[in-house]
Amino acid sequence: MAVLDAGAITQATAGNREARTAWGLTAPALLLMVLILLVPVVVAGVLSFTNYSLGNASFDWVGAENYERLFTRSTYEKMFIATFTYVVTVVPISVGLGLGAALLLHSLGRIGDIYKTIYFLPVMATLLAMAIAWEFMLHPTIGMVNRTLAMACGTWLEVVPFVANGCAGGFPLWLGDRDYAIWVVCFIGIWQGFGFNMVLYLAGLTAVHRELYHAAEMDGAKSAWERFRLVTWPALGPTTVFVVTISCIRAFQVFDTVEAFWPQGGGPNKSAYVMMFAIFEKGVQQNLIGMGSAITMLFLAFVMSLTLIQRWLVERKVHYG
Amino acid sequence: MADLQITSVTKRFGETPVLNGVTLDIADSEFVSLVGPSGCGKSTLLRVIAGLETPDSGAVSIGGANVTTTRAADRNLSMVFQSYALYPHLTVAENIAVPLRMRQLTHLQRMPLIGGLLPGARGHRQSIAAAVNAATEMLEIKSLLDRKPGQLSGGQRQRVALARALVRDPAAFLLDEPLSNLDAKLRVQTRAEIAELHRRLNATFIYVTHDQVEAMTMSDRIAVMMGGEILQCATPEVIYEDPDDIRVAEFIGSPKINILPIERVGHQLQIFGRPLEWRLPPGSPQIMQLGLRPEMVHLTKRTPRLRGRVAHVENLGAEVFAHVMVDDGAMRVTLRASPAEQSMLVLGAEVGLGFNTRAAMIFDADGKRLRKIETMVGTAVEVA
Amino acid sequence: MTREWWKHLVLVLGAIVVLAPFYMMVSYSFKSPGEIDRGEGGFFGRQETMIDPRCVALRQPGRAEIEDASSRFPGQDDADVQAALLAETENDCSMRPVVFNYTKAFTEAPLLRYLLNGVIVTVSIFLIQVVVALPAAYALAKLRFWGRETVFGLVLFCLLIPVHAIALPLYIMLAKLGLTNTYAALIVPWTISVFGIFLMRQFFMTVPDDLIDAARMDGMSEFAIVWRVMLPTAIPALLAFAIFSIVAHWNDYFWPRIVVTGNRDLFTPPLGLREFKGDGDGSFFGPMMATATVIVTPLIVVFLIAQRRFVEGITLSGMK
Repeated sequence: MAVLDAGAITQATAGNREARTAWGLTAPALLLMVLILLVPVVVAGVLSFTNYSLGNASFDWVGAENYERLFTRSTYEKMFIATFTYVVTVVPISVGLGLGAALLLHSLGRIGDIYKTIYFLPVMATLLAMAIAWEFMLHPTIGMVNRTLAMACGTWLEVVPFVANGCAGGFPLWLGDRDYAIWVVCFIGIWQGFGFNMVLYLAGLTAVHRELYHAAEMDGAKSAWERFRLVTWPALGPTTVFVVTISCIRAFQVFDTVEAFWPQGGGPNKSAYVMMFAIFEKGVQQNLIGMGSAITMLFLAFVMSLTLIQRWLVERKVHYG
Repeated sequence: MADLQITSVTKRFGETPVLNGVTLDIADSEFVSLVGPSGCGKSTLLRVIAGLETPDSGAVSIGGANVTTTRAADRNLSMVFQSYALYPHLTVAENIAVPLRMRQLTHLQRMPLIGGLLPGARGHRQSIAAAVNAATEMLEIKSLLDRKPGQLSGGQRQRVALARALVRDPAAFLLDEPLSNLDAKLRVQTRAEIAELHRRLNATFIYVTHDQVEAMTMSDRIAVMMGGEILQCATPEVIYEDPDDIRVAEFIGSPKINILPIERVGHQLQIFGRPLEWRLPPGSPQIMQLGLRPEMVHLTKRTPRLRGRVAHVENLGAEVFAHVMVDDGAMRVTLRASPAEQSMLVLGAEVGLGFNTRAAMIFDADGKRLRKIETMVGTAVEVA
Repeated sequence: MTREWWKHLVLVLGAIVVLAPFYMMVSYSFKSPGEIDRGEGGFFGRQETMIDPRCVALRQPGRAEIEDASSRFPGQDDADVQAALLAETENDCSMRPVVFNYTKAFTEAPLLRYLLNGVIVTVSIFLIQVVVALPAAYALAKLRFWGRETVFGLVLFCLLIPVHAIALPLYIMLAKLGLTNTYAALIVPWTISVFGIFLMRQFFMTVPDDLIDAARMDGMSEFAIVWRVMLPTAIPALLAFAIFSIVAHWNDYFWPRIVVTGNRDLFTPPLGLREFKGDGDGSFFGPMMATATVIVTPLIVVFLIAQRRFVEGITLSGMK
């Protein structure tokens, strides 16, 4: 009996000791998680109901006024339009190009490696530097793009209305043109991001069991498209969910290009006034912290719901047990 | 259902030859096993038959039609893969329906939603459902229809793979080591079921395995492959009792056949320097090998042909296998004894061994069977 | 190969679009302003010696210099001396465009300092992230304690919060603490990587318990187990995480832009480039592209050398 008791006690203390060590090991992470991630969310939530400015001693509660402005002012309407245009354009195209490139490279085998390296370069490169490079490329007079386009003048390519118009009245100003600005930003987003998606898809493709393709052939799937539908696409399901989510979250966070092209104002006629830029402009540059916080909260809501949808999909739909 | 002919098929992967001129005729509704150690080319041969690999030379024909250049999807064959290769995103019912949907429905009819509205689609769909139903009933997996492969055990997946193969009415069934991923108990059970299925369907089965027990128990004929060649193709009985080649004799049978060196000295045959009473026909080779199945060796006290010490005893209950060191411990002979004889099999004890000369197989130094010498030896002994 | 020509055609066209800005960036960093303006000179430019106008402007000979120098040019009037001096200056100020662009990149702004800042910031962030995340990941994966599920739930929740999204409240908090325009401001918000904790925890789950029990039998403390047993086994996952972390923070522009204002000593490379662009005029394209090339090159070079590792790292972090 006594021996048993002693055993139970040492076990309990051992358990306590393990718990204490565990808490000791997690404490720094926990503390930082709370201070750096959770407290700011609360702070932003609180401040979004105020008219606080840095340097002011006090602030007033303004209720939902900031949110009301967010949904009524035309500036913010432009912000939503720019942001969603960007997300809705960049995500499907960069995912599609990533998948297409991955399929092509996968079918080529080792010869395709050089393309893989090239397509991945933009992912590694400092986006701000590349944005400036693109800005030169798109320079209306001395930029490479318009110079290349001008070479088409006087050739049969003039049958294309775009070329014909450009030759007659000058090619677009690109970044200075409100009709083109956001699309240029989208293009650079795609240019930068599809290589990342491609690499994830390539990893997904190598994980597809080869016997499945043989089974599909035996089952009578004759065309490449049928094999893709029957084997490849379903096998890439989890990859696709991940790729789409991460592309969405990155797309929502677009900032560097917009700030590099238009340090003030977010593009011609605010056509590229994306959310991150709005947070930066309102909250940091104009010191309207209440407004900035309200945009922050909305932004968080978008990103969090996207991730939650992804988790739900992974657990429900594409998880084959 | 159809017969198959494989004629002088060769295949190399880069520099490595995998099939060196394989010829094999398979009759309609026959069950043929391709058996051999790993790397012998048996799976490649099956894949050549399936159309998943193109042979470098030679021909494959099914039901009299040359299909050497026909793609796999058009050969009307069914295959069960080693990994089962079930589509993970489809339910069991959908998996089984795939071969029919791919063949019977057009692209448009296969589309979700609108597909069902097209003329003719409905009839096809109903017939497919009926076929799926019949297949699942036969394999007793009706309760699994709505599950995904990920939710199934290995044995259940195996059945689904079988069902997907037999939902159609193919010219032949190809099975690539379908039991190798199952545990031992399930393997024995499924073995019997596949054999029964073959009898019931009366279809041509080509079955690849590295397990000689599977091949022995299920097949009408066994093709033993080694080094990209078929060494012998015959019924299980012939393969076991009358192998053409020492490699066949060694591969088939457990415990392994005993191979002992024998030597001709003049007209006399000697084993470990002791004369055997056999007389040899003129022109016999100098060095030969004697093959003795463990059950052909028995313990004897009177005039034993071999003497040795018991080194190890394995009691399996119904039978006892003993390892006896002969030739001063240089060679080991396995013999099967009855449990009653176990008292004689004391470790380290000296025992005498005898064997029936009619059952002994003689091979030349390269491993080819010397049937002519065997018959002459047999008669010689009988005369003596 | 012949049947696959169309694939190569598509891929080559893609590669041209992908490489165009890199080509242009490097090419402009070699060229003289005139060549950039006129769009000539191929990839390397003609590399004719050019005169730096600013250098000449700064060394315009004044009255005093002319008088000082008149002894060197006896018998010549002031105008001749001035012309001669000007010729000397121009001679001193002339150089190849590539030399001009890259010297300007490093002298116009303290680019070396920016690069050093970049290294300090990225390396500190990564090291602190590991020091914080590794013990936590170990405890979450291998120790049983009351509240473990809650802590892990918190980690999963925090994965939902991108740090960029809460930049504004973080900025306010740092401002209140008087920490803006310090290294701390650049580093602190990134010290906790919930993604790192999650990745490491998933990795540690695959480490057999026996290994840890063996270490305990050998008398190691839990702390020692983390650093002497778990750390070495986690090298592949850590490498993947390092790639992720370093690429992200070397290239980050948004956060430094917010917390570093004006103080050049704290500029990270992207901020430095931004400033260059802000005050440069058209004739400074060459040096600016030289700066951009210098900033982009380190990661690209490391990527080209250790390509397999990078791709593995990215996919490992992607697949979870």
